Amino acid sequence: MSKEISRRTFIKGGVAVGAALAAGTYFKWEGKNIPLDVREGNVTYDVLIIGSGGAGMRAALEVAKQKNLRVAIMTKMVPTRSASTMAQGGMNGCTGVTDPEDTVESHAFDTVKGADYLCDQDAVEYFTEMAGKTIYEMDYMGYPYNRQKDGSFHQRKMGGSSHARAAYYADSSGHAMVHALFEQCLAHNVEFISECQLLEIVANDNKFSGVVAIDMRSGNLISIPAKSVIIATGGYGRAYWIRTTNPYSSTGDGIAAALRIGIPFKDPEMVQFHPTGLASNGVLLSESSRSEGAYLLNKNNERFMQKYAPKQMELATRDIVARAIETEINEGRGIGEGLHAAVYMDFRHIPKDILLERLGQVYDLSKRFEGVDIATQPVPIRCSCHYSMGGIEVTDFKTTATRIPGIFAAGECSCISVHGANRLGANSLSEVLVFGRTAGNGAADYVKKNASYTGSKEELQAARTKWQEKFAEATQRTSGPSVVEIRDKMAETMWYKAGVYRDEKQLQEAAVEIDKLRAQYQNCVVGDASHTYNTAFMNYIEVGNLLEVSKAIVLGAIARKESRGGHSRKDYPLRDDKNFLKHTLVFKDGDTYRTEYKDVVITKYPPQERKY
Amino acid sequence: MMIITLQIHRFVDEKNWIQEYKVELKKGMTILEGFNEIKAKQDPTLSFTSSCRSSICGACAVRVNDNAELACEVLLESLVNRYKTNTLVVKPLGNFRVIRDLIVDWDPKYEKMKKIDPVVEPKAAFSPEKGCKQSIEDFDKYKKYAGCILCGSCVSECNKSALNEKDFLDPFIFVKAAKITADSRDRSPADHLRAVVQAGLWKCLNCQECTAKCPKDLDPAGAIEKLKAASIALASDGSVGANHAKAIYNDIYTKGLLDESKLAVQSEGIFSAALRVPTAYRLMKVGKLNMFEKIPENKEIHQIRQLIDIAEKEDK
Repeated sequence: MSKEISRRTFIKGGVAVGAALAAGTYFKWEGKNIPLDVREGNVTYDVLIIGSGGAGMRAALEVAKQKNLRVAIMTKMVPTRSASTMAQGGMNGCTGVTDPEDTVESHAFDTVKGADYLCDQDAVEYFTEMAGKTIYEMDYMGYPYNRQKDGSFHQRKMGGSSHARAAYYADSSGHAMVHALFEQCLAHNVEFISECQLLEIVANDNKFSGVVAIDMRSGNLISIPAKSVIIATGGYGRAYWIRTTNPYSSTGDGIAAALRIGIPFKDPEMVQFHPTGLASNGVLLSESSRSEGAYLLNKNNERFMQKYAPKQMELATRDIVARAIETEINEGRGIGEGLHAAVYMDFRHIPKDILLERLGQVYDLSKRFEGVDIATQPVPIRCSCHYSMGGIEVTDFKTTATRIPGIFAAGECSCISVHGANRLGANSLSEVLVFGRTAGNGAADYVKKNASYTGSKEELQAARTKWQEKFAEATQRTSGPSVVEIRDKMAETMWYKAGVYRDEKQLQEAAVEIDKLRAQYQNCVVGDASHTYNTAFMNYIEVGNLLEVSKAIVLGAIARKESRGGHSRKDYPLRDDKNFLKHTLVFKDGDTYRTEYKDVVITKYPPQERKY
Repeated sequence: MMIITLQIHRFVDEKNWIQEYKVELKKGMTILEGFNEIKAKQDPTLSFTSSCRSSICGACAVRVNDNAELACEVLLESLVNRYKTNTLVVKPLGNFRVIRDLIVDWDPKYEKMKKIDPVVEPKAAFSPEKGCKQSIEDFDKYKKYAGCILCGSCVSECNKSALNEKDFLDPFIFVKAAKITADSRDRSPADHLRAVVQAGLWKCLNCQECTAKCPKDLDPAGAIEKLKAASIALASDGSVGANHAKAIYNDIYTKGLLDESKLAVQSEGIFSAALRVPTAYRLMKVGKLNMFEKIPENKEIHQIRQLIDIAEKEDK
């Protein structure tokens, strides 16, 4: 044996003896992660926020400015794991810093046009007015902006924008935002109730009482009374399971909880499909691929965007490019089969050093998951569900209030609505910041005006007991379909029958299939009865939420007999402003769903044909 | 077709065991996809956390063959090639409390983060309405550190934390500190630095495990070195860092060797050094430190002194 030992071995040897004296890493978990008084329901929060993404944390910081209000963020994971971290491009806002020609009106018009006129223009005006301010504010909060020569943050131009107005941090803009907000939350001692899965928002007859959740670590069911709640739980891309860019956690938990207490799901059919997900697993290749000049090719090596958007080519908006790709695949000019069929994205004409410098993440992901070096080979890509424009109906964009007093919503789970039928790149981070802040103020003002708790602790307790029984019953079931089987069938139905292209026959089939799955879900097997961090139970809850959301997507898609933005009906290929320049509202009463409409607010921008 | 055996360390409701699972290796299959396949088709009770599956949320770090890996980005195939075996041993991250299976507790880490006041306090010239100004060069000084995803890989094999994590910070917290102190927008980097020194900056064993494990190549050990340099530059004001440097200087000048037993006493003062006796005792037991042995003189001490003198002259 060699006498020489490495530095690593030497230090390890030294430490091994020392560490053996210290306690091991395995402990008995006592459930003390949540303070006893909170666990027992003895703390009434002024504002309880569900979700720790950009919207949730931004809202909390706003509420925390009011020293006399008790606020906490409840999250099903730990604070920095949200979908917000995945946003790449940046945050839009007119500042004129990089492009002095930019105006708030231009941002508003781009947003309205991008939305295919389905947004509420008063909300868009408010949003674009605030968006620039938010960028400066984040600078002051420590956001690590890429800079330009004069020392200001630099802004870049994103798809569908007529000026450079997206401030950013490399290709990890959302990640940087989440961590800057988290630092602020730590510095301001914002209370986190981590790793608690929301089960129910308790509100009977329009009277909000609080929430019921399961503390993942201890398995304790907890009910938390609150005077107000801000739902900031993100989107529902996982309804399409493998064909989504979203994280595993985007399961529409807040939207489903709101539906169950009578708050409608607004424009559920408006799902954005990002054109460039990896063929194998749906992981996103950034939109900056196309901004840097990548081509889209079909199997005959044709740049097919010539046919669909001859002026903007690959830089047309997401919905247009997505439909072009699906058309190529459906008409037999794609490669591969089934859920993995694809077209190519080609970078070979871009110098390798530029690829590595500007598209490092795209380069790595293609290499890792598809085994393709994009400098020498085109990478197979296909559309992937990316964003939910629809969400919890917000009735006042200046507070983000919903129709139940005390319940607010912000971020991707909400529909305010600024994205209408199609969201522009880099408008989502601005949205969570603008409306996170608005929600924080809205809820704080509400609590100041309604200082005493008017909910019912008895109802909360009853809901908690019901969930206790449900946990026991569901986790001990041994025969029936598995949660995973139901999930996979749901995703297949949603992709093929309520995906990029839709028609009446397939949507009706989808409605029947989703109902069947909802019935099967009542008897499905969780497969794990432990109370400690039962992720199988968590997945069971999430799939239940996704089924409710999917049902609403399908109903919304059936009701909207036109094509607009992210919603494309083969049987109604044109936009129909006469009948459908309005929002869909899907309600759930008990087990039955119904659809209503609500007018779109138009201020300055009368609908025009949308051409790029 | 290749079958991979994953021996996963399980821990559920106070019971520990190692469970063996087999998965068929597919093209582009990551560790996380392996876990997902096991959970979906073989055993719904296997528990782990994951979210983004594109290496940005930091939820899925685990240890494979005693090295931390981000499960969503490392291909099983690459591990098979690296370790030349089809059998891989999977454990939860080290230096964390384990809640269940591969899931660990982050709460104590966040509490520790608060020690360094982990936020930029912008200079008086800046405002929330008008933002801040920063040159491209100044941005470059910290931009790398802003890429930390809080996955915990760096602390998993940290030797100092294994020895005693109570008087030390996790490497990712040092990265955060390096980011804030290098950010030209901040008005008081010295305050952050003092907090970092107080929280154990100089106790790093410099084993480089953190740098080897960081999936984002942020070089936490390098961040620690930068903080040390900054703390010396900060002052000969009686801060721990500067004293530590002085002790090293004295040892090298007088003996040509580092007297590690004396080092602790000189840099922290007799009182706080006494608090570290348990650590010293552990080090003694493994022969790294011997209080009772007189430190011998380096035979080439004259040459060493000459070198130091030359360096000092040049510095002046």
